[in-house]
Amino acid sequence: MATKKKPAKSTKGTTKTAYTLTADKAYRVAKIYKSTKTASVDAMPSEYVRADIEFIGVQHAGASYEARVFVNNPNANAETQLIQGNGYAGSFYVFGHGGCFGDAGHCDIHPHRDEFDPRRSHPLEPIKKFVIATDVIKAAATGGSSINITVVPVVTSWTEQVEDIQDCLQFDHINLVTYY
Amino acid sequence: MASLTVRKNVDHLGASELKALRAGYAKAQTIMDNRGYNYYAGLHGIPNWFCWHHSHVQGSNISANLFLPWHRAYLLHFEKAIRDQSPAIPKVGLPWWDWSSSQSHITGVPTAFSTATVSGQPNPLFRARIVAPSANPPINRMTRRFPGSPAQLPTAAQVQNVLNLSQFTDFTNQLENIHDGIHGWTGGNNGTVGGDMGSVATAAWDPIFWSHHCMIDRLWYLWQLKHGVATITPGLLQMVLTPFGLKVQDVLSTTQLGYTYAVSFVQL
Repeated sequence: MATKKKPAKSTKGTTKTAYTLTADKAYRVAKIYKSTKTASVDAMPSEYVRADIEFIGVQHAGASYEARVFVNNPNANAETQLIQGNGYAGSFYVFGHGGCFGDAGHCDIHPHRDEFDPRRSHPLEPIKKFVIATDVIKAAATGGSSINITVVPVVTSWTEQVEDIQDCLQFDHINLVTYY
Repeated sequence: MASLTVRKNVDHLGASELKALRAGYAKAQTIMDNRGYNYYAGLHGIPNWFCWHHSHVQGSNISANLFLPWHRAYLLHFEKAIRDQSPAIPKVGLPWWDWSSSQSHITGVPTAFSTATVSGQPNPLFRARIVAPSANPPINRMTRRFPGSPAQLPTAAQVQNVLNLSQFTDFTNQLENIHDGIHGWTGGNNGTVGGDMGSVATAAWDPIFWSHHCMIDRLWYLWQLKHGVATITPGLLQMVLTPFGLKVQDVLSTTQLGYTYAVSFVQL
């Protein structure tokens, strides 16, 4: 019996809202991430040419989905129009593995063993995703004192081996990175 | 130059070219040994899991994103395998699916891939049989595909924004992100289960996989024309693209691999 991939951990600092609606037959909406921590605009540089919102430690073992990223719009959901006026910063996409198709332990992530191990790291090592969100971040910084992030996952595809579509969005933390 | 394979837009293939391509796919799909379609599809996800997405550490502490080089080598080997089963003339090259085109924003999946039968026979570009007895659970069924709305496909402007990125790491990350979205869009779902393109495990069995990746490879080619063929992190050049026996530095130039994406080609 295959070991099914379990979410490694709950996403930190989140308030999740469960949606069970199917907006149409083409996709499903999963649990929405809302940051409970905010970034202070005062801590950001006054000038920058690019701002990225980075998602560190994204899990990708299960379903494939679009993650719609909103800035300072905690009420965003799957029906929210994808325009800058709604704080839409862009989307990142996860091409999921589709669940476990191996024997027991196949999807357990082992740490890279040592520098003499010629094998590459496990395919399910968490990944980094980011959206380039310069205009939206600048608009938010101009109009307020803090920045919060909402991520709306819209699930596009999955297999019979995916156990938990609702919890597909799993990551460790968010970085807000600016560049001169 | 005359011996180069010209990979074309699938919507621009002539009738004889499409017929030859279909003949190669159809024959390869009947072969279950290491010349066949099932073998090559099985290199990506189940059961062999050689595919390279995102960044991995291999043999050192270098974090390497070999998404583009690995899939270039994969396509090359697959193209040779299909050509082995195709008529000699016309010379078959893998066609690319421009999912950003105005045509795709109307039709979605190209008709070459969405037509279930051709001349009364199953269209080998429509679906293929997955035979993976070592998977858990074992799989033996035809591929599924439930594409989304054509309006959701990336636009040409979005693609151009990615091509304008000057750093290779930026470029490959953003292009892979678009690629990820196309996989989910093409696989889609029927409300109960998703299509095979939406899962790394089975994606390469869907015949449109190869033309999706041909488009990705073409966009890397176009980026290289603009930003330089060898504009890649130097520390990656000696890394091996398993199981194809090629290093990253071997796959930087498409002409050295024997193919091009020229829109037109006339021999004088």
